[in-house]
Amino acid sequence: MKISGFFLAALLCHAASTQAAPAAENRLLVMGSTTVLPVASLAAEEFTRRSGREVSITINPGGSGVGVNSAATGRASIGMISREISSDEHKRFAEARLKTHVIGHDRVACVVSSEIYQAGVQSLSREEIRAIYQGTITNWKEVGGPDREIVVVDKERHRGTRHAFMRYVFGDPTARAPGARLVTGSNNEEQAKIAASDAAVGMLSTAWISDEVAGVGIREGQAVLVSNDASQIAYPIVRPLSLVTAGEPAGLAREFIEFMLAPAGQALVENFGYYPVAAADRVR
Amino acid sequence: MTRGFLEKGVLAGLVFMTGFAVFIFALVLAEVAVRGGGALNAGFFLEEARDFGAAGGVRYQMEGTLLLMVGAAALGLPLALAGALFQTEYVDAPGLKRGLRLLVYSMNGVPTILFGLLGYLFFGITLGAGVSWLTGVLILAIMILPTIQVSVQEAIEALPEQYREAAGALGLSRWQVVRSIVLPHCLYGIVTGTLLGLARAAGETAAILFTATAFSGARFPEAMSDPVPTLQTHILVLAQEALNPRTIENAWGAGLVLLCLVFSLIALSLVFRGRLSMEFER
Amino acid sequence: MFQPRSIAIFFRVLVTVLALTATGLIVLFFLFLVKESLPVFQAEGVGFLTGRDWWAGESYGAWPMIFGSAIVTLLALGLALPFALAGAVVASEFLSSRLRWWAKSLMELFAGVPGIVYGLLGVGVLAPAVKEFFGLIDGNTLFTAALLLGIMVLPTLLTLADDALHAVPGKFRDQAQSLGLSRLRTVWAVVLPQAKAGLLGAVFLGLGRAMGETIAVMLVIGGRDRMPAPWYNLFQPGQSIPSKLGREAAEAVGAGLQWNALMGLGLMLFLMVLGMTVAGHLFLKRGRAA
Repeated sequence: MKISGFFLAALLCHAASTQAAPAAENRLLVMGSTTVLPVASLAAEEFTRRSGREVSITINPGGSGVGVNSAATGRASIGMISREISSDEHKRFAEARLKTHVIGHDRVACVVSSEIYQAGVQSLSREEIRAIYQGTITNWKEVGGPDREIVVVDKERHRGTRHAFMRYVFGDPTARAPGARLVTGSNNEEQAKIAASDAAVGMLSTAWISDEVAGVGIREGQAVLVSNDASQIAYPIVRPLSLVTAGEPAGLAREFIEFMLAPAGQALVENFGYYPVAAADRVR
Repeated sequence: MTRGFLEKGVLAGLVFMTGFAVFIFALVLAEVAVRGGGALNAGFFLEEARDFGAAGGVRYQMEGTLLLMVGAAALGLPLALAGALFQTEYVDAPGLKRGLRLLVYSMNGVPTILFGLLGYLFFGITLGAGVSWLTGVLILAIMILPTIQVSVQEAIEALPEQYREAAGALGLSRWQVVRSIVLPHCLYGIVTGTLLGLARAAGETAAILFTATAFSGARFPEAMSDPVPTLQTHILVLAQEALNPRTIENAWGAGLVLLCLVFSLIALSLVFRGRLSMEFER
Repeated sequence: MFQPRSIAIFFRVLVTVLALTATGLIVLFFLFLVKESLPVFQAEGVGFLTGRDWWAGESYGAWPMIFGSAIVTLLALGLALPFALAGAVVASEFLSSRLRWWAKSLMELFAGVPGIVYGLLGVGVLAPAVKEFFGLIDGNTLFTAALLLGIMVLPTLLTLADDALHAVPGKFRDQAQSLGLSRLRTVWAVVLPQAKAGLLGAVFLGLGRAMGETIAVMLVIGGRDRMPAPWYNLFQPGQSIPSKLGREAAEAVGAGLQWNALMGLGLMLFLMVLGMTVAGHLFLKRGRAA
């Protein structure tokens, strides 16, 4: 009891003292998009190693919506987003004067379970994808695949990948998908659910395409556009990857953002499978 | 004759169903042990997680979980003890006693995610503690308070009536009764409750999910305003990845570590509770 | 230096203040929930509860989540109860007190298995198994969540049911057996009816416990904020209130109608769980008094 009481008192005193200096100069909390997370995380390690100072940069997943919210409400110093800030969010957080810092670009792929790809569905048209997500096409045989019901995987509404995908498919980044069966969150979760199925379709950053999860080509007229063929600059589903701050960044936050834009940071972006800022012309 | 036959059948059915229930839990344990066992080695406990959980160990995650639960218990214990003493020693009106008791039980039932959300709003935003170890400790302390309090209260109520009668005969004041009779004799209850509270805090994920933890980059916190990595949230992130077998194995390994931690705390509490009942049976 | 009397007074004040802090917190919690959710009730009225469409920014209908929570919890209990009752009868009526202590201790251990471990089991083992066994196109369904929850609450349910049976005084059993009833018939004709209130209490507490579980359910329920069609097809994905909060709260935390709507969901969850917990304890008390 006595020890606990002492601890309590110490805790409260400490709380009071830490509150006095809310944003310590050597700490940074970064939150949001799971597409940006890996490169931000790698950059944080590299940045810490190079800085030679005692800095701690912690990174949390959550999705682009969480990135915007965290940066705007001060929960995190930097938000990660894999889409533009929506007009809704700009309105809601007008006071935060959100500022985006584009650190790279990414293509979003329409992906299917590898079994479906191997069974012959290697490309889909925008109309077919739309019909699948609307629920009017429910079986793979309707698009040249096996006779198997489609497991349509959607993402949480605020996710950046979904915004880019739905803007292309429906012309509206927050379009509804009545045909969806599952709603997932992070890239990892969606990738895992599609891999676990033998009849799923979904949307993923190109960097998440793997043996189990195949990217299908997008048919536009005569052309079939493939997301992981960098030479096809007409690939239609692209989005910026950004860090977002409330107002102009200062101190460590600014240093970190500058590092991500410097050659070393941009190399990390490219190595992970994204397009560096300088290659923006390859992602229209 | 047929009745005896029927009864044997029913009894066999009951035993079978019980056996099946036990089998399910044996399966749960075996599954975790087999899938997680492969990940366990000295490095798993000593190294930090690398490659987004695919390599390295869970050193800082373990430390984070321990820090959170110990902080929560240290803060929750005095509150719970006070609550228990207030109810058993300082309140005389039976109606109020009943009301307070129901309140504690209700609090025990509150879904933990609500503690997390409202706790973050209050401690994290209103009081400015942010996403931090401190916020997590405060939230978990409130969450485990009823667990500890119920345990202490039960120990106090199990106190034989003669003790109090003797104290009354000696003309001891309430404070003297508390100090020299109640507290020493419900020590085991306090220990049991604290252990159960620690176990509950260690097993909790939803309440600390976006209030106190960090996935990457966090180590041992340097200040209370730092977030900590924890086993629980680490498993949650790794569980959603299914393609890298190393990552999955590490998720199960972390699950096994967490399970062992919680089981040892509960087992210890059972030992202490056994002591408690022995004391009064003497 | 200090008089014993002043220590006593100090201690009394300390205990009172700390105790009131703790009890005040829960009341504060409730008021906070009400306050934070008020705007959504103002904006959507009763439609918030009955609406079937939830699309942040456009409409907030809580019914699919309320339905999902209720149905998953009820089904979980339906699945677990027969096993809990069988186990309780065996433990309370047929085991020696030593064996019974071991059985109960084991149940207490299992009741402590963290939700995230069940979540891992759900993702890695149960969801694929459900898909395979029932020939579904995908294993993340309301049924999977219910099955996982059923396993999770079984130990709690069994322990409480065993307590309820054990609280029936031995003299009832003696009387029944002196009338020539076998042990099993005694259980059926005397012990179970006597323990009814206690068993009901166990059921309600089990329901309350199951309804609040977040993480494990979140990982296997499918996350779709819509009613299954038809509504009784539980082999479809759905959503529960805690899972919805776990997935969406971080995006909305602090302000805006979306946050208010989520808090409205939280309030509904709180009230449902509170109702069950209070009912459970009232029944348990009646069971002990009988």
